[in-house]
Amino acid sequence: MSRPLVLFCTALLVLAGLVPIVWMLARIDGSDLGGIFDARTLSLLVRTCWIGAGSAGLAFVLGLPFGFLVARTDVPCARFLRHAGLVPLLVPPVMLAMTMVVMFDALRGPGAIILVLGVGTFPLVAVFSGRAFERIDARREEAALLVGGLRSALRMELPLVLPAAASAACLSFVLAINDFAVPDYMTSIGSKVNVYADEIFASWQSVHTPGKAVAAALPLLVLTLCVLLPALALRRRGSLATWDGDFRRPQPLALGAWRWPLFALAFVLVALTAALPLVRLCWEAGGGPRGWSFAGFGAAFARAVEVGRADLQRSLLYSSAAALISLLPGLVLGHALQRSRASAWLEPLVLAPLAVPAILFGIGYIALWNHPATGLFYASGSMVVLLYIGRFACFPIFAGAGATAMLDPHLEEAAQLANAGPLRRLTGIVQPALRTSLLGGAALVFVFGMRELDAAILVPAANGTAMFRVYNAIHFGRDDFVAALALLIVFFILLPGILWSAFGRERWEAAA
Amino acid sequence: MKAAPTLRVLSLLLCGLLAGCGKQPDLVVYCSLDQEFAEPLIQRFAKESGLDVHVEFDVEAAKTVGLVARIREEGSNPRCDVFWNNEVAHTAALGGDGLLEPYDSPSAQDLPPLFRDPDRCWNGFAARAHILIVNTKLADPATITSMWDFVDPKWSGKVIMAKPLTGTTLTHMAALYLALGEAKADEYVTRIHELSKTGAVDLTNGNAAVARLVGDGKLAVGWTDTDDFAVALERGAPVVAVYPDKEGCGTLLLPNSVAILKGAPHLPAAKRFVDWVLRPEIEKELAFSRSAQIPVRDSVPRPDSMVSPGAFKPMTVDFKKLGAEIEKRADVLKQLFVD
Repeated sequence: MSRPLVLFCTALLVLAGLVPIVWMLARIDGSDLGGIFDARTLSLLVRTCWIGAGSAGLAFVLGLPFGFLVARTDVPCARFLRHAGLVPLLVPPVMLAMTMVVMFDALRGPGAIILVLGVGTFPLVAVFSGRAFERIDARREEAALLVGGLRSALRMELPLVLPAAASAACLSFVLAINDFAVPDYMTSIGSKVNVYADEIFASWQSVHTPGKAVAAALPLLVLTLCVLLPALALRRRGSLATWDGDFRRPQPLALGAWRWPLFALAFVLVALTAALPLVRLCWEAGGGPRGWSFAGFGAAFARAVEVGRADLQRSLLYSSAAALISLLPGLVLGHALQRSRASAWLEPLVLAPLAVPAILFGIGYIALWNHPATGLFYASGSMVVLLYIGRFACFPIFAGAGATAMLDPHLEEAAQLANAGPLRRLTGIVQPALRTSLLGGAALVFVFGMRELDAAILVPAANGTAMFRVYNAIHFGRDDFVAALALLIVFFILLPGILWSAFGRERWEAAA
Repeated sequence: MKAAPTLRVLSLLLCGLLAGCGKQPDLVVYCSLDQEFAEPLIQRFAKESGLDVHVEFDVEAAKTVGLVARIREEGSNPRCDVFWNNEVAHTAALGGDGLLEPYDSPSAQDLPPLFRDPDRCWNGFAARAHILIVNTKLADPATITSMWDFVDPKWSGKVIMAKPLTGTTLTHMAALYLALGEAKADEYVTRIHELSKTGAVDLTNGNAAVARLVGDGKLAVGWTDTDDFAVALERGAPVVAVYPDKEGCGTLLLPNSVAILKGAPHLPAAKRFVDWVLRPEIEKELAFSRSAQIPVRDSVPRPDSMVSPGAFKPMTVDFKKLGAEIEKRADVLKQLFVD
């Protein structure tokens, strides 16, 4: 591995993701830690864990079979289902909650929270497990099929895929335990369900004891790391290495009589979780309860484009730049995570920015960058890009690490024996094998950047993003405008995926 | 892809990051009044003054905490010149902590003393009232005259308010301690907490949600702000506003507040903006806008649909003291309501 590149990428990660956190943690003194584990906060934590576990469990139960169906079987319209199944991840969870409540009025309480958060994150499990299923060598699968048919093949493949699915379920857990908008919305009527993220948000009112507010975030940070680290350890297992020098892509598995019933199940899932929110947004954009019309629909879009054009452009620019730049740490640190001995300490560092509450991360950015010497950078869009990289670079890094785990190390060793230098090996052998995974990770950076609000709200230039405009308009009942702008955001989030799927993927994979 | 092109692309991106650093504006305004209403006004000021004005907004979800947190964090190196807050308690708290620059604006001379900081660190104008929104299909508004009706058992399961942890609901609860005294205010807050545990009082995330749920007929009565009430009315919901406690402590009026930051980088421009925004004409425009902000000057014209001066009793609150206490109250309310 190229040491200068590793050092450069580590420095970028430290600067963008870790220094703001350390800066904030330095504010804590001993007295701030008193009371963070009293009976009230413990009860909040336990409840939050249940909600997180329920959501992750649901995401796992929905995502693993869905990922298998659309990635590896001959289920009809697999490619369409695969892309449509991503939509719940692209829609802000609170919008998903609003849709669910409109459709099912009685949907309230803890079960409803788990349903919305689980459904909103199941695409993560589907994507991770789908990619893992695709990386199983055709010869292994054919051997298993010969021995005992589809059941035997699944028995062989599941242990190879479970770590990836479990990692994604853990990400689902992390997203669920940090969300307070959905629990709040789903229990607006009836018994209130508070979660630990409420405690963190409310603690920021303690302006004269800032260390206390930071200390309040510690239990969630520790909990998140405690969940993610074992999952990553699973992923590191050597049994994952199925991609060697003469890897053969497996053919779609024939489902036989189950083909159409399973299609129906997958279609219902996509219809409920992806189509319904979009249909609802279309309905709202056209006038909603005041009466739907094409004229109203067109007018809402015209206004959304007129008012939100510049915001959309900025959102796309910041998110795309962050996604592109994060490809480099994704490749370099992803590979280093898997191959070097530094992974034991590198992994928690990579995860930390995602594990800390967004508000803490955002305030850390102010404290770090608002100085006379860095004033211009602080107020610029570049600061938003850096924040997105810092917060979300873990996605391409872990995607890269996961793909490296499946790459036969003998290939790199052979190249080394042939006098290929570290940079040559990285670009000539590692990068071609990792690039689809890296692109998937970068796509997540793009998606989360497009819908980011909580940390970005504290960064000056993020005021001009499309998501910021949407949340400003929600307050004043501009339902048609909000819906039209939200649809535009979803469209632009989906657009790269659609273009990639239509024109790029096969050519790229053929070249690989 | 070979190494050299990769490095070239990355170098270009890094150059782009640095090139993204723009030039300094003539005035920086942080504004928590909704972008929809404040943006056209600030753009007009920029046009009239010829200044390059950079404005940054809060979102409702952050309940002003976003901008206030930023102002506090930036305190040692302020980049904001003027803070236009859509409420007053946090502005007063910033003044109490020495983060605001005193300025006795000539445009503020006719503002009522209640809405002016004695130290002239901030001025209040164009207020919202924290009122009870009543769905006329589910409740007779004539039977609801006091804040205590909200906790009356006869409305069990039909009333709603925002969680009193942030925003104007927190300010309202904190103001009750000043208006009613510790014991009475404690009794009210504790009653709400107990009732919320049994589901007799519903708690939601904000006043807009309260107005929507009452407007949609899911609930009968709720605490909300007049701007959210105006939205419900515009949507055609069968609702009326009750300005409670004419005989008691009165209805809380929460003015917008405008203040110059201590160490503002563009002080002369900041003073120009404050003089401009505190004019009666701006109060009038905000009164006739969709947000229906209530002018604090009796002389300023207002829509016929808006409550007239003297039609309700404004709660008398020492906003400076309220600002000094808000953190303490927030902590107590957090212990009660986040459980």
